Amino acid sequence: MLIRTAIGILWAVCAGIVVDVGEAGAQMTARELYEAGCSSCHGSDGAGVESGTSVAFTIPVPDFTDCTFASREPDADWIAVAHAGGPVRAFDATMPAFGEAFSVEQLQAIMDYIRTFCGNDAWPRGELNLPRALVTEKAYPEDEAVTTVTVAAEGPGSVVNEIVYEKRFGPRNQIEIAVPFGVAETGTDGWSGGFGDISLGLKRAMWHSYERGSIFSLGGEIVLPTGRESAGLGRGTTVFEPFAAFGQIVGGDGFIQLFGAVEIPANKDTGAETEGIWSAVVGWTFAQGELGFGRVWTPMVEVLVARAFEDGASTAWDVVPQVQVSLNTRQHVLLNAGVRVPTDSARHTTVIVYILWDWFDGGLFDGW
Amino acid sequence: MGGSMTMRRAKRGSAAGMMTALAGVAAMAVLWAGTSKAAPTGSIRGVVGVTGGVTVTSPPAAQRIDMSGDRYCSEATAGRTVLDRAVVADAQGRLANVVVYVREGSAAGGGGAASAEPVVLDQLDCEYTPRVLAVRVDQPVIIRNSDATLHNVHVRATNNREFNIGQPMKGIESRRTFGAAEVGINVTCDIHGWMEGAIAVFDHAYFAVSGDDGSFSIDALPPGTYVLEAWHETLGVQEQSVTVPAGGTAEVSFTFAGG
Repeated sequence: MLIRTAIGILWAVCAGIVVDVGEAGAQMTARELYEAGCSSCHGSDGAGVESGTSVAFTIPVPDFTDCTFASREPDADWIAVAHAGGPVRAFDATMPAFGEAFSVEQLQAIMDYIRTFCGNDAWPRGELNLPRALVTEKAYPEDEAVTTVTVAAEGPGSVVNEIVYEKRFGPRNQIEIAVPFGVAETGTDGWSGGFGDISLGLKRAMWHSYERGSIFSLGGEIVLPTGRESAGLGRGTTVFEPFAAFGQIVGGDGFIQLFGAVEIPANKDTGAETEGIWSAVVGWTFAQGELGFGRVWTPMVEVLVARAFEDGASTAWDVVPQVQVSLNTRQHVLLNAGVRVPTDSARHTTVIVYILWDWFDGGLFDGW
Repeated sequence: MGGSMTMRRAKRGSAAGMMTALAGVAAMAVLWAGTSKAAPTGSIRGVVGVTGGVTVTSPPAAQRIDMSGDRYCSEATAGRTVLDRAVVADAQGRLANVVVYVREGSAAGGGGAASAEPVVLDQLDCEYTPRVLAVRVDQPVIIRNSDATLHNVHVRATNNREFNIGQPMKGIESRRTFGAAEVGINVTCDIHGWMEGAIAVFDHAYFAVSGDDGSFSIDALPPGTYVLEAWHETLGVQEQSVTVPAGGTAEVSFTFAGG
């Protein structure tokens, strides 16, 4: 999510206003701007003044020195809240709007100063948290829950759901568990259903650069043979899947994501083959509203490639056009919908939809 | 009494505002039926008082504001006692900052178009000046920070849009208008909890805010009978009926219980 929320705090929207800032703010340094506009509540050290003491409100003030909180969202979200106030991202209205007091350039300078409170560069910046595609694993470690539904649009019927839970730990790491389940049309038996192969994953951001707009991760998954093979929901063997993921910001709001993995079955007697998987995602994010503080849309296209590592194996190509859109004001609940179209006739087109909940930013029903 | 008044006031939402306006039109129609078009206007004058010994001339200790938690505010007010000015009355119990207005009997827009002349809500020495402001719908309000410290202006409205702006620099000004009639809009600074004020917005010109001597005056009223309401930010609401003679002045008085 290139443009998303953060800042568990306080603020309100204003419109149609004339303001005279005067000369005072024109020549101030970033630190002076922060001291003038922010330190009364957020403290000179960024840790936040103690609630209920010198300030008149009791809402907890976020700690800018806490890298877990302060690194994960892009500047654009912070500036949206600083400019238009907390309600622009469904946070508390106690956070005022500073859009009349500070220019966007001044708010950016304040943001640059706030970023210094987390002095640990190991934490990848939120700008590198690129939009999640329907299929491709992204490089950024996340705290998310994603429910994906894949429905066969042609051929034998099937409806497969997958619930993915991802949890960050430390600056660079993430673990995840994915639980698929569904029903499928199985020829003469009609429809049958059950659980699929549950997978456990680990990912680590090996290298990232905010200046270059790049992030590179390595990881691996173990896919357990928990699925019901007769329903087409299991492969009957444990599969190991080491992978690499790369994300690159292009032109500010555009991005490219690359992914490569090898699927290695533990028991090839089941018919499972060692297979290489590659994918690429190209997309562009834009936001509604005069200042870009509104609903966020990200059209993107995935290209998926798979090929078994054996002589004469064919290469399967799929194209997945899709659109991700933020559903709520806080922008931590998103929907993505697309169509996976195989380029050969042996496989069938599927419709894929996910609902993504970035649970670190608030409850599922918060921020609407 | 205050409680019942408040309940009745709460029932007047924006939809009820139309009923009020219609009632006003009807009242004006009756009024005009019995008077010539050239009938001279009248005035309402009066004084608002408070009982119970609530005055700022002999304030209890609890009425003193402690600004020691904020360096700028404590330095700005060094050498003087700052009092909670929610209830401002003189030694005779004459009550300031009471909004007195025609609640019924005047159609929306009565008194001509709203003035384009802005009124100022200033923040000076960590207090609102004035504490209570009354304006017309769409009349510009300049919100100014005259302090060299951050104030936020959190305006909690019901019929109008809530907003909260940060004013970090001395001399910064923001202009706002209010598009709907509303009495008792709360204004606070969330950084300095003692800073409280109120704004009243009217769709007619027949209102006033009592001065330090408790007096008020509403002029240029068409002759007729009106329901006059007096609103105080902590002491509640009172009302009374008043008949304004053509070319004359109706005298009224309100007395709040200070507790």
